[in-house]
Amino acid sequence: MGLPLFSAPDDPGPSFYDYAKASGLNFALSSHDTTVAHATTVIAVRYVGGVVLVGDRQATGNYIASRDVRKIEPADRYTALAISGTAARGMEFIRMAQLSFEHYEKMTDGALSLEGKANYLSPIIQQNNLTTPLMVLPLLAGWDPSHQVGRIFEYDGAGGCYERMDFSTIGSGSPFAESALRLGFRTDLDLEGAFELGALALYEAGDNDPSTGGPDFVRNIYPMMVVIDSSGFRELTTDDVSARFRAINERRTSTGGIPGGTLR
Amino acid sequence: MTNYFYVAPEQLIKDRATFAQKGIARGRSILASTYDLGVVMVAENPSASLNKISEIYDRIAFAGVGKYNEFDRLREAGIRWADGTGFTYSRDDVAARSLANYYAQHMGDMFSEGPKPLEVEILVAQLGNRFRETKLYRIAYEGTISDEEHFAVLGGDAESVKARFATTYVENMDLSTTLKNATAALAGPERTIPVGDLEVGILEDRGVRRTFLRLPDSEVSGLLAG
Repeated sequence: MGLPLFSAPDDPGPSFYDYAKASGLNFALSSHDTTVAHATTVIAVRYVGGVVLVGDRQATGNYIASRDVRKIEPADRYTALAISGTAARGMEFIRMAQLSFEHYEKMTDGALSLEGKANYLSPIIQQNNLTTPLMVLPLLAGWDPSHQVGRIFEYDGAGGCYERMDFSTIGSGSPFAESALRLGFRTDLDLEGAFELGALALYEAGDNDPSTGGPDFVRNIYPMMVVIDSSGFRELTTDDVSARFRAINERRTSTGGIPGGTLR
Repeated sequence: MTNYFYVAPEQLIKDRATFAQKGIARGRSILASTYDLGVVMVAENPSASLNKISEIYDRIAFAGVGKYNEFDRLREAGIRWADGTGFTYSRDDVAARSLANYYAQHMGDMFSEGPKPLEVEILVAQLGNRFRETKLYRIAYEGTISDEEHFAVLGGDAESVKARFATTYVENMDLSTTLKNATAALAGPERTIPVGDLEVGILEDRGVRRTFLRLPDSEVSGLLAG
């Protein structure tokens, strides 16, 4: 690859995706018949100081392919991306998004707004999902420094971007996680409350959805728990997450697996 | 049949060189120097938004003097090249030497074959790590690339700035001293440059992947006072 110079009318500007397309860095997709389930659960919950994300770690094909996959990644300091769908496409999507945000920042000497990042991803998702059965359905969550709030954006299969004011879930475990979230969500959740609710919703999804990995006490692998607030992206330690899931597990064990009519 | 006036190639090159030098000489100089923890780049630039010093990649920075639109296009191409290379291969595979060579080729081509030579002089700085050295590559308007040791100066007044800075330079000085010496060298004996007219960028390991940092005025004044 030589020095990528463009004449003014052909210049792709600060968009790395447009540059990659113009220079053939990302290849055209060919269609074939595989469809892949969104074997995942990732949850995002807004709370008063930002957003909490909880995601399972299991990669499932016809059998369990991996137990320690990371489905939530920081896209930059203040945003996180979570993926469901085809792992290969999802990983590439995350790479493209991470690089795009940084590329824009370097090209223009200013960061994209959170809404700008959310809208930027729409055509990339559309392009992927409408030209290949290897679907990717991501979730973008982050701290919006200009509005001083945490925000969540979810996408549909055609790339439509929707902001959620409460919580969002992606993946096959969504119905189960969503039920728990609907009962437990309050607008005045604090950080602890959001972590608690998110962990519980993921526990439910792991309990009911065969493609969602719950806490794995044998291998000491636990769902990822992340918070994004005014100081940026932070991931909880394994010990911290382990203690939270052990607590839920002990409560459930004491009642023989029955939640007991309350969120516990 | 059209008759062309014959111009000797020596004369053509000389004219083109004079043209480019004049364009470059109109701007203020930029000084880049290594210090104990990294590389600092100092430019005299009254504009706070039209930058002369920029981030290219995790450990690579760019500085340009001369015509803003010309070196800014080179800067953009450099970011695209670096991000594209890192995307295709790995972040570790993005090296300043390759980029400096591409710049040199392009500037050389523009000098000899373009409608007019580029009226710019640029610097590609790389902060070293376990497997790469700290490097300062200066690329002149006609594509000459030079691997400068310890410090480099770009711009019309480069020789005298370089001579002044050379008298004060010692290896492994701290950032504050280096910045003070650089500012004094850029200003010369007869004047001082106000902090608001200084543009300062550093490449330094701070425990994060991206080592480039643009220093705000407050920090620059602190370092100059310290």
